[in-house]
Amino acid sequence: MRRKLLSAAVCGSALLLAITGCSTATGTDSTADGGKTGTGTGADCVIDSTVPIAAAFSLTGAAAQYGAGQKNALELAVDDLNKVGGVTYELTVEDDATDPKQAIQVFDTFVASGASIIIGPTLSNTAKQTDPIAQDAQVPVLGVSNTAAGITEIGDYIFRNSLTEDAVIPQTVKAAVDKLGVKKVVVMYSNDDAFTESGYQAFAAALKDQNVEVADTLTFSKSDTDFRALLNKAKQSDADAIVVSGLIDAAVPLVSQAREIGIDTPIIGGNGFNSPALLAGAGKAAEGVIVGAAWNSASDNEQNVKFIADYTAAYDAAPDQFSAQAYAGMQIIDHAVRSECSAEREAIKTGLGGIKNVPTVLGDVSLNKNRDAVHDALVQIVKDGKFTILN
Amino acid sequence: MLVEYSSLITLVALTAILAFSFYAVLIAGQLSLAQLGLASLAAFTSSLVVPAEPLFGFIPPLAVGIVFGMCVGIIAAFILGLPVIRLRGVFLAIATLAFGEMVRIFLINQSWTNGAQGMSFPKLVGIEIAWIALAVVAFWFWRLSGSRMGRAFAAIREDELAATTMGIDVPRYRMASFVIAGAVAGLYGVLLAYFSRFADPNEFSFTAAVDGLVTAVVGGVTLFVGPVLGSVFLSVLPELQRVLGVDAGWIRPTISGVLLLVVILFLPGGLSGLIPRRKSAKRLIIDPAARPDLPDLPAPGTELVRLQGLGKSYGGVHAVRSVDLTVAAGEVLGLIGPNGAGKTTLVNMVTALTAPSTGSGTVLGVSLTDSTKAHRLAQAGVARTFQQIKLFNRLSALENVLVGGYRITRDTLLRRLLFLPSARKWEREAVAMASAQLIRVGLGDKAANAAGDLSYGDQRRLEIARALASHPSLLVLDEPAAGMNHVEAGRLAELIRSLAADGIAVLVIEHNVRMMLATCDRIMVLNFGEVIASGIPADIARDPRVLEAYLGSSGSDADADAAAVLAAEDLARVTAQSVRDQDRGHPDAAPGGSTNESGATDLEDNR
Repeated sequence: MRRKLLSAAVCGSALLLAITGCSTATGTDSTADGGKTGTGTGADCVIDSTVPIAAAFSLTGAAAQYGAGQKNALELAVDDLNKVGGVTYELTVEDDATDPKQAIQVFDTFVASGASIIIGPTLSNTAKQTDPIAQDAQVPVLGVSNTAAGITEIGDYIFRNSLTEDAVIPQTVKAAVDKLGVKKVVVMYSNDDAFTESGYQAFAAALKDQNVEVADTLTFSKSDTDFRALLNKAKQSDADAIVVSGLIDAAVPLVSQAREIGIDTPIIGGNGFNSPALLAGAGKAAEGVIVGAAWNSASDNEQNVKFIADYTAAYDAAPDQFSAQAYAGMQIIDHAVRSECSAEREAIKTGLGGIKNVPTVLGDVSLNKNRDAVHDALVQIVKDGKFTILN
Repeated sequence: MLVEYSSLITLVALTAILAFSFYAVLIAGQLSLAQLGLASLAAFTSSLVVPAEPLFGFIPPLAVGIVFGMCVGIIAAFILGLPVIRLRGVFLAIATLAFGEMVRIFLINQSWTNGAQGMSFPKLVGIEIAWIALAVVAFWFWRLSGSRMGRAFAAIREDELAATTMGIDVPRYRMASFVIAGAVAGLYGVLLAYFSRFADPNEFSFTAAVDGLVTAVVGGVTLFVGPVLGSVFLSVLPELQRVLGVDAGWIRPTISGVLLLVVILFLPGGLSGLIPRRKSAKRLIIDPAARPDLPDLPAPGTELVRLQGLGKSYGGVHAVRSVDLTVAAGEVLGLIGPNGAGKTTLVNMVTALTAPSTGSGTVLGVSLTDSTKAHRLAQAGVARTFQQIKLFNRLSALENVLVGGYRITRDTLLRRLLFLPSARKWEREAVAMASAQLIRVGLGDKAANAAGDLSYGDQRRLEIARALASHPSLLVLDEPAAGMNHVEAGRLAELIRSLAADGIAVLVIEHNVRMMLATCDRIMVLNFGEVIASGIPADIARDPRVLEAYLGSSGSDADADAAAVLAAEDLARVTAQSVRDQDRGHPDAAPGGSTNESGATDLEDNR
């Protein structure tokens, strides 16, 4: 009987494999070449078949707040670009549930379904597990929100249009030193998060470059909400500014509590502070917070103004930097597709390699030889309840 | 064609391995959440030793990682187990959860792990390696389930106290399950890291631990394929929804959640509950030749138990005061007394479940002290039943008795892994021995029934069969006839006599005084923790203090019944005696007779 049971289990597994295998028999053939290369170049490019674009974002789970905006903006971008004509994009957005294991499966599906390019995933640590899959299968990937180090190093098919912490933070620190005369700081960061820890490393390097004295370095956990003890310690060191690398969940209580105990020096934040939620959550306490950003929501760039208006009209909410970067990502892909006038993976890869000063909602964007984004970052300060450019 | 799903299929295997790690502790009734901490420790430390090139030219790097990771899992589980193994239920869960957090925070703060930013691993694990590893793990648990060790785990899960009195060293087996779980967790950690090419300590979080636990529970812990079923179910659900075109977003986790709820609600035994249970452990082996050769019992008359001044007090309350007692092989010693007289406390001391406060005692050569463990005494040859029935309710009747045979059987796991013929022979011996006991107590036709489904009287008899399966020298029965009718009690008395005739010493507590008087060689009466009478049944029935004790008890119906029986015995005796006295013209019996008669009258008033 035991033996029967075992064979039943084996047959069951085999059946499962067969079922999953069969159900995917359709669709995989589209990886075969044909009909994906069009005629003309640039604006004149016409590709007969649709260009399949796949995106994996965290629509549920811990990072859902970022993924939702990315999905919305991407859909908006595809709609806008399809109106131009010549090239028609077909977008598939999948949820990775903020779980790298899910994301791995999603990437497998995308690779097999013949997507011309994969956008995403939302989080850097997920990208480190998924992007090698695309690299192995020679499918180009464009990260639109991965800011950690070591993403594009995965391989020559991996690109990103999101500025790394290493690109934004030195500019932030330089502006604070130049414009506010900061000489001595206390650094605080949560050391149990990949994003904030790499932000800290960028801060530490930039502070060293600018010869700013670091009076103290304090760590906290990303789940902490009470920072009074740490802030009291920071206050005693009589620094010109407090530098914080933390997520938005920490930013709001940290800033509020700092003002509460009488710290009125500027607070210099990493990318995590770059969110409308800071203004909404910390209110007046947020005044004097300095943060570097890859996207200037107040820019009068024509594309940007239109993007904000369209997005707000479509989704009844203002876009954040994640949305803007996702929208810009699609603009860059469009440029790459049209420059080679082909939806082939290799062609898109080549096209992305040649991105130079493409006008997007983020401003003019280039991708450098390391496949990382190059564009102007800006340094903002909260003034009168708004992010304004520090000058 | 499989390319699209190769990661999914690999992850099904890996998740199943994680679930097996939870399964390993759950089958022994432990709820540990340390598995992910162990896995992450194994994954990260393995990166320190895994070579880039094959070791000595032929040992693949992954093999080094797997062996090292499993060793790390084993050692860490053992060290963690030392302080926490005696914790139960939610306390164990919390302690192990704390361990997982500790590992996570430790690894985040280490520079060699690259902290929260995680570290990259080469891709060494593919679909084949993952499934081979799963097959090996599943094979281990399959062979474990029918071995003596597997039965011991099941017994501990069902009732720890009863398992102890079968001779099972509960802390040792709990530690064994912990260490097995640690090895499997280490395997999972290494495989996952070398499959996904990247790991950061935050991935091995509490949430991941809960996911693993849910997978194990959904699959079910009663059958070794449970974790595989759970993993297939939970891993394929999101993919299935994707294929069916359910929109990405909140709706998918909601559907998964609802299905999970349905499984938990309607399949309490998990998905593996859908598979009909194996029949082999339900079939009796009645061939007497298959029974093992057992060592002889001590010769009748050999003193097995000697208690001197044994007492137990709880604070100021003396449950048992200074009891002297001996039991010899082949005799039936009855212990009676009103409710709360201290009978159960006394037999608990004899079976080492309770440590004595004063006095000394020796049972089968083992002296009773604070540090005497019940399982050691059981291994020396003491078996018992309980006043409150303590069967392994979800196991079949035969399986219950098989656990009882723990003492006289040998562990077969290693031999079963290799399919050695001796394993099969030993298992047959164990089943034959258990079958004989089941038939002896008259439950031969109910071998396959779950113990919890049996009638009350059958459960009592099953408990006796389970105790007998250990081939005991001393059998302690705590109210074996409770809930039995006269016919059943009569059969029980016959059974007890036959056991004594076989040379077993039987110490029995019973309220059914009529049965005791008829069955026992000697009877000892306890009241308020003191021995008030001791001797042959005829003397006890005649002793006025015994009746008084029962009458004075605030008493249950059982006490009143006992008093009635004693009074009736007395009346019969007095009548017979006075007739004899009259015959002989001997007047001495008159005062005693009148006391007893008045006792009997009191009883009538009482009722």
